[in-house]
Amino acid sequence: MTIREPNPEPNNPLGIDGIEFIEYATSQPQALGSVLQSMGFVPVARHRSREVMLYRQGSMNLIVNADPQALPRTSAPTETPELKAIGLRVRDAAFAWRRSQDLGAWEMPTRASAMELNIPGIHGVGDSLIYFVDRYKDFSIYDVDFMPLPGAEAKPPAVAGLHYFGVVQTILNDRTRDWVEFYGQLFGFAVLPEGKFFGILPKGTLLESPCHKFYLQLTEPPPGSDDIVWEEGLFRIGLGAPDVRAAVRILKERGVVFIDNGAVQPSEKGALTQPYLGGVTFELVHSHLKP
Amino acid sequence: MNLDHFGMDTITLAGPLEAKLRAVREAGFTQIMLSAQDIVGHPGGEAAAIAAVHQSGLRVTGFQVLRDFEGLDGHLHAYKVDVAKAMLEMCRALRSRILLVCSSASAHATGDYARLVKDLQKLAMLAVPLDIRIAYEALSWGRHVNEYTQAWEIVQAADRENLGLALDSFHILANRTPLETVAEIEPRKIFIVQLSDFLWQEVRSAEDRIETARHSRVFPGEGVHSENVIELVRELDEMGYRGDYSFEVFNDDYRQLPLPLVAQRARQSVKWITGRVARRSLPARRQA
Repeated sequence: MTIREPNPEPNNPLGIDGIEFIEYATSQPQALGSVLQSMGFVPVARHRSREVMLYRQGSMNLIVNADPQALPRTSAPTETPELKAIGLRVRDAAFAWRRSQDLGAWEMPTRASAMELNIPGIHGVGDSLIYFVDRYKDFSIYDVDFMPLPGAEAKPPAVAGLHYFGVVQTILNDRTRDWVEFYGQLFGFAVLPEGKFFGILPKGTLLESPCHKFYLQLTEPPPGSDDIVWEEGLFRIGLGAPDVRAAVRILKERGVVFIDNGAVQPSEKGALTQPYLGGVTFELVHSHLKP
Repeated sequence: MNLDHFGMDTITLAGPLEAKLRAVREAGFTQIMLSAQDIVGHPGGEAAAIAAVHQSGLRVTGFQVLRDFEGLDGHLHAYKVDVAKAMLEMCRALRSRILLVCSSASAHATGDYARLVKDLQKLAMLAVPLDIRIAYEALSWGRHVNEYTQAWEIVQAADRENLGLALDSFHILANRTPLETVAEIEPRKIFIVQLSDFLWQEVRSAEDRIETARHSRVFPGEGVHSENVIELVRELDEMGYRGDYSFEVFNDDYRQLPLPLVAQRARQSVKWITGRVARRSLPARRQA
């Protein structure tokens, strides 16, 4: 039994405690796998029955889902990998799921998906999902559904201290307040004061998780971008690094290419990788967080 | 204010969806208000109806109507949430930004404001991922909420970005709600305005109002309260409302007349309204 805190923080009604996993869907899992490996992720386990792999580094779990019926109600995986789910650590997953629905979240249908364990979830932005995971302290959800890869280190250390820092979400014009209310009412996220930004891409609206362990960035289309196809969805993950320059150096050695032109170039504040596989990017952010 | 700000409603017209879309477009309108029945009652099925709407090139003003949603308990609430979800999904498929929600007339619904607020907050939350705005309308025979002033109180208390008001001139006039308080509403929280008039001076009982609302409305300019409709539109225009006006004209006669004829009457009504509103508001603009 996990010992649960008797008095949840008033601003953290679900007892959110960070990101348990991030999930990508793609029909080209090996191509994404090699990009992830250059970013320091190590394949550690394979799903027992589906084409799903678990990658890890340090505190980060990352799932690559290539199952054709990957996620309920969502389209089959495309060649360009898409960020499809965030798994949130919560105090009590069943409670989180019920409360979210009471407040108007869309229940996720029973999934024929990565997890054989019944992990409750709700619909998020676009066709992404938000999962609630409460077994992360003394027992891992991956123990049931995944087979360790022979010879793989179960808990590979993080490259350059990388850890989950946040997720960037694209939204349509004039939708910031809708999504601020969504994350605020359902989970207790709070808007950071204007002007407070991390990294080198200061735009949009930053929301801080009620556990202060990660951020969501809401990004409306930039002005004058009428001809860009801009859809709502999870767009990019941000990885925190205690020393961005050191992280960039190590990742470059591993083959990662960073964007380096006038407007966007690696600095001690952050860095942005080139797009891989038609659109996957990773942002590095100087991080004060303790993974 | 011009023709592009006005739309017709499929409930005014007889016949199949495609014929309604054609008549509305050929009359020069660029938008149309749709009902769930247009979609689910289509002989080719839902997908065919949605395709016909998209092919018409008409903008969808809004989608109607979710009834008796708020104030229910237990299994009734759960049932209505399921209905709401299905409506929201249709609304989204039609690329309608607005779902029209009428205040509850159900005898099972509570009038407890806190509860009504909570239920509408939940509905607004359900609509967020689908990028839909909830337009809450006070039905003149609503059980607990039957004037726009009450609906506005609830919308304010709920305080959600995608929850606002639908104003319907019929319900306002039928209940003789004073128009002055319209100016107290934040214009950005009025999501849609529905216009119609009717042929009788008074509709005293709730039964009268229901009967008239469902069978005997006419276009503004054709009834006996049209000056009040103009007063409402002028007020909205002056306070800065720039959203859509939709003709919510339920009329049994119009449903047995040729579609182009009815659409022309709607066109005539637009001309009548814009002419009168523009005339009166000109001096005000000169002062400004």
